[in-house]
Amino acid sequence: MRLQNLKNKKGQMRVIETILASFIIVAALSFVGIFAVSPTSPAYEVTDLEKMAYSTLHDLDQQGLLAPAVYSHSWSDLRNILRITMPNDVYFNLTVYKVDGSSIYSGSQMLYGDLNTFAEARNVISISYCLVGIPKFNPNGVYDADYDPLILVLEVTRG
Amino acid sequence: MKVNRGKRGQFIIIAVMIVAVMIVSMGVLMHNAITYYKHEPWEEYSALIGDIEINSRKLVELSLASYTNSLEPISIIETNLNKWEKDLVDAYPSRGITLTSSDTTMLSSSNTNAYTATSKAQASFTLDVKSIGLEGYTFNVFTSLTLSIKSITPLESNMIEVIAVVESETGLPIKDLSKTNFKVENATNLAVSAAYDSNNILEYRIIHNGSANSSVEVYDQRGIRVIVNSS
Repeated sequence: MRLQNLKNKKGQMRVIETILASFIIVAALSFVGIFAVSPTSPAYEVTDLEKMAYSTLHDLDQQGLLAPAVYSHSWSDLRNILRITMPNDVYFNLTVYKVDGSSIYSGSQMLYGDLNTFAEARNVISISYCLVGIPKFNPNGVYDADYDPLILVLEVTRG
Repeated sequence: MKVNRGKRGQFIIIAVMIVAVMIVSMGVLMHNAITYYKHEPWEEYSALIGDIEINSRKLVELSLASYTNSLEPISIIETNLNKWEKDLVDAYPSRGITLTSSDTTMLSSSNTNAYTATSKAQASFTLDVKSIGLEGYTFNVFTSLTLSIKSITPLESNMIEVIAVVESETGLPIKDLSKTNFKVENATNLAVSAAYDSNNILEYRIIHNGSANSSVEVYDQRGIRVIVNSS
């Protein structure tokens, strides 16, 4: 009976040791985590935003949504499409330029978020995306398919 | 004896559960860290290359549409591509982009005997992006629109029925064409409907009040035009 009691106590200590060891391991890993550069850390933020902005425009262009919206000047539709495509905490400002640098459109309809956010944000990225034009059906019953390049400049930041 | 065993078992169960919870938590954390970039299918520069590739293709299609619609000179494709190559340098000044096109051809031909016509264009491109050390990335663009008249049948009340197949460069039929995409010479009344066919997958049935020798033309959504002269 006495021997059995001793065995029991030894078992309890091992369990307590196991728990303590586990806490030590978790604490050590948490400590290391402070120094680790995780993918969501600010060190990756600029690349991440740049990649997101490129991917968004590329995706919309591949689906045939971007060029018709831009060339028909459907700015409000384009803003809504971008809002749906990008995460909610990402603010953007889209400006459309001709190749000579003159702006075709830059207004509040293509802005999501506050202008102050862009002014105060630590990480604001800006990417360019080119379009070549779309065919337009003219009143004479044929298509006008002229080369009409436009440059989209998309500024993105996280709110 | 029994009571002692029970108490020891409780401790072990608690310890095992804590360790299990920690293992699962660590597993989830590790999984998130490892799979984070798998959710981003495009790398930063592959989207830039994709932009140039998609829009080079669109420009070849635009040039073909321009040539077939307004009878622009055949050199329109080279003129457009040269402008595009220059504009890319201005649009991405710091990227060191050089796009070169070669082997450009464009053609619109009609085979009256076979009742088919094709408009097609192709170009080869070489892309260098110095800022990322990319050199000699090549891609080819081929685009076409083919119209084949399968049958011409006179109907009652001076109407003519034409069965036509419209195919893109993939060899697959083009869907979503309507009355506005077709024109028949000298016809003032035109009706178009699409129907499934076991051989051609999709056929267009055009009923018009022109003559059996009238030329038939079609425009696809890219603006490319093709005409079959059946006379």
